[in-house]
Amino acid sequence: MEASEILKQFSDVWELRHEYAKDWKRRTGGKVLGYFCTYEPEEVLYSTNVLPVRILGGHEAPTLATPHMFDMWCPFSRDCLNQGLQGKYDYLDGIMATNCCLHPRQAFGAWTIHVPTPWNYWFVMPNAVRSPRAKKFLRGELEEFKKAIEAWTGGKIADKDLDRGIDIMNTNRRLMKQVYELRKADNPPLTGAEAMTMVWASQLMDKREQNDLLKQLVATLPQRKLERNTGVRLMIVGSENDDRPFMEMVESIGGTFVIDDHCTGSRYFWDEVVPDKDRLQAIANRYCDRVPCPNKDWGMEDISRKRFTHILQLAKDYRVQGVILIQQKFCDPHELDIPSLRRLLESNGIPCYFLEFEVTVPIGQFRIRVEAFLEQIQAEELFV
Amino acid sequence: MISAGIDVGGKNVHIVITKNGTILARVGGPTGINKAEAAEQLYAEALKQAGLKREDVTQVVATGSSGPRVTFANGVIPDAAADARGVIKLIPSARTIIDVGAEEGRAIKISPEGKVLDFAINERCAAGTGTFVDTMSRALEVPVEEMAKLSLKSTRSIPMNAQCAVFGESEVVSLIHQKTPKPDIARAVHDAIAGRISSVARIVGLEKDVVMIGGVAKNLGFVESLKRDLGMEVKVPDDPDFVGALGAATAAAAGVLEEKVEAKVVEKEKIEEGKA
Amino acid sequence: MAKYKTKGLDCWNRAKELRARYYEDYKEAPNRGALRWEGGAWSFDAIPQALEGEVHGLTEEPYGASIGADPALQVRYQEAAEGKWGCARDLCAYLRNYWGSIVLNEFAFGGEWPKADFIFQNHICCTHAKWLQVADEIEGGNIPYFCFDVGAGAYDKIGERQINYVVEQLYDGIDFLEKVTKRKIVDEKLIQNVKNTYDSACYWAKACELNQAIPAPLDEKTMFSLYVLGTLEKSHKDIAHFYKDELYPEVKDRVANKIAAVADEQCRVLGDSQPPWGFLRVFRYLEKYGIVSVASLYTFSLIGWWKIDKAGKLVPYPTLEEQGITIKDRDHALRLLAEGELKGKLMWAPFYGAKYKNDIVTKIAKQWKCDASIIHLNRGCEGTAQHQMEMKIAVQNLGLPVMTFEGNMADEREFDEGRTKRFIDLFVTETLGLKKVAD
Repeated sequence: MEASEILKQFSDVWELRHEYAKDWKRRTGGKVLGYFCTYEPEEVLYSTNVLPVRILGGHEAPTLATPHMFDMWCPFSRDCLNQGLQGKYDYLDGIMATNCCLHPRQAFGAWTIHVPTPWNYWFVMPNAVRSPRAKKFLRGELEEFKKAIEAWTGGKIADKDLDRGIDIMNTNRRLMKQVYELRKADNPPLTGAEAMTMVWASQLMDKREQNDLLKQLVATLPQRKLERNTGVRLMIVGSENDDRPFMEMVESIGGTFVIDDHCTGSRYFWDEVVPDKDRLQAIANRYCDRVPCPNKDWGMEDISRKRFTHILQLAKDYRVQGVILIQQKFCDPHELDIPSLRRLLESNGIPCYFLEFEVTVPIGQFRIRVEAFLEQIQAEELFV
Repeated sequence: MISAGIDVGGKNVHIVITKNGTILARVGGPTGINKAEAAEQLYAEALKQAGLKREDVTQVVATGSSGPRVTFANGVIPDAAADARGVIKLIPSARTIIDVGAEEGRAIKISPEGKVLDFAINERCAAGTGTFVDTMSRALEVPVEEMAKLSLKSTRSIPMNAQCAVFGESEVVSLIHQKTPKPDIARAVHDAIAGRISSVARIVGLEKDVVMIGGVAKNLGFVESLKRDLGMEVKVPDDPDFVGALGAATAAAAGVLEEKVEAKVVEKEKIEEGKA
Repeated sequence: MAKYKTKGLDCWNRAKELRARYYEDYKEAPNRGALRWEGGAWSFDAIPQALEGEVHGLTEEPYGASIGADPALQVRYQEAAEGKWGCARDLCAYLRNYWGSIVLNEFAFGGEWPKADFIFQNHICCTHAKWLQVADEIEGGNIPYFCFDVGAGAYDKIGERQINYVVEQLYDGIDFLEKVTKRKIVDEKLIQNVKNTYDSACYWAKACELNQAIPAPLDEKTMFSLYVLGTLEKSHKDIAHFYKDELYPEVKDRVANKIAAVADEQCRVLGDSQPPWGFLRVFRYLEKYGIVSVASLYTFSLIGWWKIDKAGKLVPYPTLEEQGITIKDRDHALRLLAEGELKGKLMWAPFYGAKYKNDIVTKIAKQWKCDASIIHLNRGCEGTAQHQMEMKIAVQNLGLPVMTFEGNMADEREFDEGRTKRFIDLFVTETLGLKKVAD
């Protein structure tokens, strides 16, 4: 299959996510479990016949959510709840949350009361991810989670099943990283919007099916030539983002997103599980050691941010000329980091532009701003 | 008994004079900067319309965000209470009221007796008020009175992406440049406000009959958008912008004289008990 | 003639004195060779306060609230945080006050910003760990920083594994403290501090429990100035003594003699979250209608410890004496401290879901005989504002009228006093049908 066709399939999964999940249930007889945060341990779910699907918003005004979450909570979380209340996720067999940031916790809380999803689970992901105590604690949480999934699905999860789950996840991560590697080229063979759609699809579809497509994609992408100029090499950093119109708009006016740091982007898959005979410990280690979400990016004994070092390295590796910092309105974790991150990037010669996102964004106004940002970068290049 | 209700809102004053429940006069006009003066002048007009002198009126009750400024009122009632009294008089089957004025949108749940059981306000956001329509109509270069007719001609729904009134205005300009037909833009504007208002209404729960009042209720294009968003019928009484004043007059007739709430800013209290 | 007798609290001045002394001690610490540390109200102060020699802490939330009570000061500090540091306006209002104070190099209680010797923080919401991480950065990044995680699960899921997780981090914290201060943790001090913490937490809860009486001996506005001591240094012997030997007996006496907080009590209200600190006069306004705010999860459990008993009632967490426990050694002290906080601090329960909050607040509404609820939808604190709309539904389902108003605990730019009073008037006169009882 050609790269464009494969990318179209990912796009179809993203756009028709509910149809995909319902069809998957019919085909496999498995259960579908919705989740809010990427700290949810999918390895355990892939060790059995459960399809984890990330709850994403519908990019529409969350009118049904307001009686349950007043306007101060992030629009993405309210949009997610709105989708649930509209019945869009009526096929879910279960829903889970972790110690994510507070905003999706509100959506989960209201969901468990008002949306008739039969099963729910709270996974206590520790926040002190840099402490060795967290790895031990997380292993214990995984043990409990495994038992809960066994009880829910009526099956046992053996080591070989965990191996399978780890392998499926690691393969998916590795293949997506290979695709991302191709974006280092002067003229990347896929746009940022396409790359992120691939990641969104990963959060929505059976990774075994996606892995088959990804293998083909990795093989065919290097031959793909896009009829466009790369223009300014951009990185997009920030809160959850599946606003494709915004991405496409930027990439239509002289920029290309060559890399990102999002939980709907690279942060989701960047780090693999390092196999160990203690499979649950191996999984625990991965989730503690992965590039952290801002609300877990703090040290036990120092104020450094691991994510900042990672972002700076990505910016260098991908020869980023500018960073667009996007943040869902009211998003505390990113608001806490952005002033410091901005200082770091700018002191390393990387200009930044900040935009606040809602469920839908004013494309016209954002276009004007991004155009000015791109022009600023290009003008600076003239004087280098 | 002759009574009067005076509703002083952010943009307009509405006055109703009743005798034993029958409306004798109905006068409305802009509030302007001097609200007390506007109320006085319009009250004089209302009296003239009714053929009455001031002393003929037994009780005057004021309401609205600037109700306390009506110095000649015998009492003041909260605006939502006035809405409730007015609506239940006109539509006894009403249980949910949606009132959208120039500066505030609110939803009120009422009992069969017209008592306010619950309320929710569109707080601090112009995108759910009549002002949004005014602003967008200017951007569309269409008189605000024409917005309803225009949007009713539309046959398709376009989402307005901007959640904010300020961005909304420039989004309308973008849509015009994209040659989007004006009826579709007008409908998009109404749909956007309807979304905001319906989300406030859902806080109090939507129990039939749902009645819409306030100045924006005269905009049938908006009312259609609201019905679509709520997925239910919405009744609009005649002269919906006078319902608050009617409610105040009804309260006056019933002898409900609430103590006036002081309008002056309370002096900053020295908190001797210690700061937490 | 008033319905009930009323008088001020005899221990009121003592509370004021303890609070004033706390901030004075922090300012003066270097002059006395004492150490200074920054942390949170939930930071397990028993531990750093067990270091050898004199030690004084500055807890971030009460400091932020103190600034919030002064709108002019608060705007200046927040504009500094937003304008000079560059943070968003909707971040925690206390945090913006705190950062602004550092940016301007001012201490709200006079003088320059007092630099700490170390930071000892804990984390449960999105903000806590990052608050002092960034504060440290603003100050130059040279203050030794330690933070531990208390997000180990809801109170009814706490077992040995969860307690171990926190205790192990506390041991790491002790290593950190001894390394950076070159002082030792003194076990006798630690044990006494933990005992004091239990007394502060349990006796505050006992005092709150007495508010089930009619008339309520305390009103929430007064209670705000009483719980605050526990947010400053609940491990201090004077503060523990205040709660156990001064406040609690006095409140018991008020109940026995039917001394009311509000002489014309005719309506008891359940609150939630912090109030808008610069506008506490709203409570005095409510009192004109005989409305007294008698209870809230926030006021009860920000420092108070509670449990759900076998009958399903909310009761104060048992003291060490009631449990028959004598603390043996350091490990025992740390385990008891972790256990008390993880099991008893029900303020943390909403972090794990709306059902927890609904369960607790509906119990409070019933046990404290509330007639209505007024919920401040607090835009200033995501932690305490969790599930407030679900709470509204749950309390309405109990048959109680509920009013909400949006505001901000410590950002006066987000609170419309005039508008809020309009809503209160509507709720009070219409929905509750109350008339004024006092002027």
